[in-house]
Parts: sequence; C-alpha cells; structure tokens
Amino acid sequence: METNPQSTVGFLSPRKFNLRARMGVCGALVAATFTAGAAGVTDAMIVNDQNTPEDVLTVGMGQGGQRFSTLNKINTDNVVDLVPAWSFSFGGEKQRGQETQPLVYKGKIFVTGSYSRIWALDEKTGARIWSYEHRLPDGIVPCCDVINRGAALYGDLVIFATLDAHLVALNQDTGKVVWNEKIDDYKAGYSASAAPLIVKGLVISGVSGGEFGVVGRVEARDANTGKMVWVRPTVEGHMGYLNGKENGISGKVNATWPGELWKTGGAATWLGCTFGADTNLLYCGTGNPSPWNANVRPGDNLYSSSTVAIDVDNGKIAWSYQSTPHDHWDFDGVNEFIPFDFKKDGKMIKAGAKADRNGFFYVLDRTNGKLFNASPFVTKQTWASHVDLKTGRPVETDNRPGDPGTAEKGKSVFAAPSFLGGKNWMPMAYNPGTGLFYVPANEWGMDIWNEPIAYKRGAAYLGAGFTIHPLYDDYIGALRAMDPTTGKIVWEYKNPAPVWGGVMTTAGNLVFMGTPEGFLKAFDAKTGKELWKFQTGSGVIGQPATWEMDGEQYVGVASGWGGAVPLWGGEVAKKVKDISQGGSFWVFKLHKSGAVKAAQN
Amino acid sequence: MFRSRTRFRAYSLAASCLLLGVSSSALAGDAPSTIDPLNSPSWQYVQARYFDGQKLIFDDRIKVLAPTAAEDPLDVPIMVTSDGIADVEEVVVIADLNPIQKILAYQPKRASPDISFRFKVEQSTPVRAAMRTKDGVWHLGGTWLSAAGGGCTTPSGGSSGLWQGHLGEVNARIWPREDKNQRLRLRVIHPMDTGLAKGVPVFYIDQITLRDDSGAELATLQPFEPISENPVLSFDLKNVGPVHVEGHDIQGNTFTATIQP
Repeated sequence: METNPQSTVGFLSPRKFNLRARMGVCGALVAATFTAGAAGVTDAMIVNDQNTPEDVLTVGMGQGGQRFSTLNKINTDNVVDLVPAWSFSFGGEKQRGQETQPLVYKGKIFVTGSYSRIWALDEKTGARIWSYEHRLPDGIVPCCDVINRGAALYGDLVIFATLDAHLVALNQDTGKVVWNEKIDDYKAGYSASAAPLIVKGLVISGVSGGEFGVVGRVEARDANTGKMVWVRPTVEGHMGYLNGKENGISGKVNATWPGELWKTGGAATWLGCTFGADTNLLYCGTGNPSPWNANVRPGDNLYSSSTVAIDVDNGKIAWSYQSTPHDHWDFDGVNEFIPFDFKKDGKMIKAGAKADRNGFFYVLDRTNGKLFNASPFVTKQTWASHVDLKTGRPVETDNRPGDPGTAEKGKSVFAAPSFLGGKNWMPMAYNPGTGLFYVPANEWGMDIWNEPIAYKRGAAYLGAGFTIHPLYDDYIGALRAMDPTTGKIVWEYKNPAPVWGGVMTTAGNLVFMGTPEGFLKAFDAKTGKELWKFQTGSGVIGQPATWEMDGEQYVGVASGWGGAVPLWGGEVAKKVKDISQGGSFWVFKLHKSGAVKAAQN
Repeated sequence: MFRSRTRFRAYSLAASCLLLGVSSSALAGDAPSTIDPLNSPSWQYVQARYFDGQKLIFDDRIKVLAPTAAEDPLDVPIMVTSDGIADVEEVVVIADLNPIQKILAYQPKRASPDISFRFKVEQSTPVRAAMRTKDGVWHLGGTWLSAAGGGCTTPSGGSSGLWQGHLGEVNARIWPREDKNQRLRLRVIHPMDTGLAKGVPVFYIDQITLRDDSGAELATLQPFEPISENPVLSFDLKNVGPVHVEGHDIQGNTFTATIQP
C-alpha cells in the first residue's frame, strides 16, 4: 500500500515542545477538497433519507430511526421467493458480534464489523472495494463485546466510532483516513461503538463506558473536519461547551447527586441519538448512573437512565424524561426515542416512543417530554407496578437490593427485567402503515445484590453482583407489535434464545429481524405470521436494511454471533453456547430466473 | 549447516515473490533495458513498477551501506550516501525481494539526499537507492543484504507495546556541522505494523515534514511499511537553528515537535 505524497497537511502551529512531543489526533489530514453540500451526501439528502429507497444514508434508515422503508416490491405475497444475492465474509480470526447496519450510496455498501473494522463493498457484486482496520491498543475495555453499530455518511466521507474512543472519517472512494479525533481516553474506561448521526453538518456522537464511571455526554463536531462544536454532559453538574466557550452547566451541582459522586456519574450515551427535524431536537438516551450500587448515591441522579432532548443548534437541554429515577438495576435509558405522529381526539400529536430497558414502552410528547402513556412490553416487572401518568414517575414495589454498609454483601433481591433489559440495544421499528411499533424483547430476571465500591480510574465501577435467569423454559426472546395509542401488544413471536438484533419494517407489510439461531426472518406486519427465514450460518444480531437498485429491492443484514449475552447472560449460557461464530454480510433479493435472459444472449 | 538452511528458505521465498510480481505488473514481460549490477532476480519488475519509461543510470557514487548480514531482521540499519550528487529532487529506497518493496520516498528540499534509517527485511535482498536529479534522470546504487529474514511478517513488539501509551512521542537531537549545516536525528514512537503479521492491521507513519523556524520546508519524507518500529531517521539539513517536525500515520494520528539545536 502506497500513499499519495501530495497529501497536503493541515497542521496546528508547531508547539514549542523541546525534543519531545506527543502524538495528537486533531487535525484534518487532507485539505478538504469539497465544501459541505457541494458533493456527495448533503444535509438535505440526510433529512430526506427515509423517502429515498435507492440509498440508505443513516443508521436507523432516517434521522428519526423509524427503520421503515417505503419499498413494497418485496411483500407478504412474494417474500417466500427471497434468495441470497451475495455474501461477504469479514474474514480474519476476529469473528465476534456483528451489530452493524449497512449504508448504501452511489454503488457502494458501507458496513462496519467487530474490532473497529469497516469495508466498502460493490453494491452489485459484493466485491470488496476497500477495507480499513483500526489499530486498537491491547488495553481497550468495551463492556459488551468488540462490536460496532454502523457508520455515517457526509459529503465524500464515511465516519465511524472505534473501540479506543476515536471518531475516524474516511474517504468513501479510497478508504483513506481524512480525519481522526480522539473522543476520550480509553484507559479511563471510554470506548465508542454507536453509529454517529449527521444533523445539519454536525456529526453527533456519544460515549460508552458506564461500567467504568465515565462522564456521559453528547458531542457535536463539524462533520467535514472533526472539530468540536459543542459538548453537552448528561451528568448533572458538568459544564457544557459551545465553540470552546462555557455554555452552562447541565442541571445544578448536587441537586440530584450527593457529594462528589457526580464527577464519575456514568449516564453514558452509548447508543447515540435520534433527531426530530420538525422540533430541531436531538433525542439522546443515557445509561445507568455509576456505580451500580445505588445505596451510595441517593437522589434521582439526573440525567441518567433518561431521554435527553438537546437543541442541535446550541447544545442545550430542552427537556429530559427520566424513565428510571435513581436506577438500582442497571436499567440504562439509552434506547432509541423514535419520533412518530398519531391522531388523538381528531388532533395530530407530535409524539415519540421508546421501549426502555426497564420493561415499559413510553410515549411522550416530543416537543416537551410530557408523558402520554407507559405500558409494559414484557410479561414481568418486579421493580415497579406502573408509571404514574400525572407525575411521570414509576410506582416502585420495594424491590431494591439492600445496602451492604460495611458488610461484604447486601441483601439480594430477584428483579425482572434483568439488567440486560426487557429490551437492550437492539432497535425497534415503526411502520406508519400499520401504526405499530415492533419491539425486540427478552423475558428474563436476575438475582442482584450490592457490594461496597470505590472509584478507581479505568477499573469496573459496579458495586454489584448478579446472575441472570430466564423466566420461561420455552423462550426468552420475543418480537412484539405494540400499538402506541393503546399500549396493547397486538401480536408476538416467541424465540427460544434471547433476541439481540435490530428490527426493520416495510411498506410491503413485512417486519424483518434476525435470531441468535442464525436466521433472518420475515413476518407479516399485521399478524406476526412468520413468512420466510434464511439460515446465515451464525447468529444474527445485526440491523437489517433495505434498498432498491436497478428496479429491484434488496435486503441486507450482518451475521455473526456475540454481543453482551454470551458474556453476561448467566444461566442463559446453556441456550446459546452452541451457536457458531461468524462474521459476514448477506444480501437478499427476489428470485428471478436467469434462464430467459441467458437464452436471449 | 545453519547458513545453508537459511539460504534455502530465502530462495524458496524469492520464487513466490516473483510470482507476485508477475501477477501484479502488466509490464513484467518486457525485456530489461538496463543490466542490473546487483543481478537481482526481480530487477525487471522493480524497473517496470517504479521507473517505467524513465531515464535511469547505475551510478557508483550512490552507496547503500548495510551490515554484511542483518543481525535483526526487524531492525536493519541502512545509510544512503550520494557523494555530493547535485540537484537531487527525490530519493526512493527499495528492497527488491521484500513483500513490500518500497521502504521510503524522500524529497530533500534544503537538505542533502543522504539519509539513514532502519528497516524490516523479509529475506536476503538487494537494497537500492534511486535519486532523481533535476534533469529527470534516476541515479541508482545499491547492495545485497544477507538476512535470515521474516522481518515483515513478524509482529512488531521489540518494545512490547510501548506505542500504546507513547504513540507519536518524538525524541530528537541536532548536531551542528560545518558550512552552516546540521544533522538531525529523530526517533518517533510508532509500531509501524506492515499488515502482514497475522491479526495485526497495517499501521504506519506515512508522512514526515521538516520545517525551519520560518515555516519553510527543509525536507519531506514518506516512510512505508518496511521502516522499523519506532523509526530512527537521520537527515543532513542545509540550515541552522530550530527544526519543526510534523507528521501523521495512515490512521490520522498526528504528531508535532520542535527541536532546538
């Protein structure tokens, strides 16, 4: 591999380090050869992504993350004829969890893989155009496998996050690095795996590391250069910044956090954000407060386990909704908040929905965070009886682990859902045609107890012990269709192993989801009837996407078992221990006989 | 006994290297237009790949100084000298039988074309320096390096992961020389992974720029994968005073340093 010696270097002015200097990662390497919007993927295209099925420019298939496609060439009548078009192996010995979603643009498919790798593939043939493998230090500390959840496109760049907590922007055509920005120090427990989101020329990203006492925050950088524009901490008490200047503290110091604990308060934004173009608000989910042992941090611990709405122009919090105040069960509130509209009393309501790790499906007013409804999407919730619609707070059932005090271990309790959640990272989908959300859920509980804990930089910061138990013998995973207006489950599909992959739905009245057993499956969006499945060779925990090329509809999904379940699943291990590892990307289309065309030639 | 075994391995590797050259070079079939004094089995491919259609002469003034046998295939010291050839615009150093042949490209702007560095060698190979003068002619000199090999496909790690906490740290020193010249020796912490060691992605410094105190370029260098871990480079600069160093690797990590005389 040889590089172009003409690359111009845009550098910082030389610093007066005598004889010694440290490597930085701030600086556009190649002088930008385009101006924003002049070439490649524009803001207007990104805003309109959900309406242009010939490309997929965003993870979530639109800034709102509805994961709905207007395509209906593949539909309930013909999905039975879906067959593989091609498959690409990620190769190497690095076969771990593949949680990515493909992006499709101008003849190329961009797909990320385990260990911070990314490939550009030929949309027609699946042939590799280029690949990039990030050189990771040995000391990275991702909590839940070495996964990546996809990239973002802007201009002629493809941007993705790496496990050593960097953002890397590469040229879409060559795979050469254009900029590389360090988010934070991996040695302090930071990592990054969520897909960045592009909004108004900004690349929006979060941080991972809630098990290590990091400080959660949302960052907005100039997508062309990687330069920081604003940062908004999601732990109360920390200062935000806009264009390098102080931009107000998030909340108020010590209002909901005692003493000094907010300084290592977690609330990691490890799944990133969605965006409401009509509200100009980013909707960012936040993780558990640190440490897990809540006995040491009385108070609500804002803005942990919340949805935080941030004005994308000024980086200030417009509203927040905390689904699990003073979390004691590792109920991260990171899940995707998906904007949608529904009619109530003859009036269109600007709403948003989120299926939370704590087992409740929330519908909020996306303009102000006011709660409309909260209904369970799992069969068992021990920690709260319901959510008070007036106060917006859960009504608890005295299900918290006991305070260990100075003892080795406090009183253990059984709680459901387990800390892996009624739903974990895997995104749900919304179909405006059926008016239903399709929620990938799991039925499990846990024994959990607390232990004394002190913060140590870079070390796990839990103060809790736990073990997971499945609730039922015949299934753990479920795909559930929720009516957001009633909170009722309309249909469900049960799966033996816990589901861990994203959901997609289409105007063809289909819902797609992968299973750890290795299948990509298609369901009738109205009835839940399973219509099609294909065995990919390893567990599917990726996010399916669909697009159109040359008049035909395609469906793509990554296959490769891994993620948090095999690492943290406790008793679930026996249901998943025999799943083969893998690492590949599959593309499907409707079968069309080649015989007629061949005869013409 | 040991020696003969080593040579055997070297020749079998050479054969596979030739095949690689044939498949990747459309011009491989052309007859060599110049007789190679090093009698390299790969000369015609090297010529076609790097000097196709360009004027080229073998020039005794250009010397590549290497140890008679490479003690450590991961770290072979090389010195390139030009005996005062004037108007050199670009220097390219190539190891014919390395899986990645090009070691570096160097543009001495206000500097001597002479340069010293350390590199990784895969097997015994000709190492040649080519200097392009202002008139467009490439002047070539070189030597055979005897090596047990394996240097390009072994993970770097002589410093056992030093880079993970010290990536891009620069150590350097300037020695004043006569006639308003100075020598700069530079070391940068970097693993310089070739991408050929199993499970280790390619990761190397691909640009270094030296500037004087006014910001004007003294020299630019493009190292490639074969440059040894934690590169040590020596330059003869035609200036006096502080030198500003800037560089980056292929993954966008940048480094800067200012060296005081």
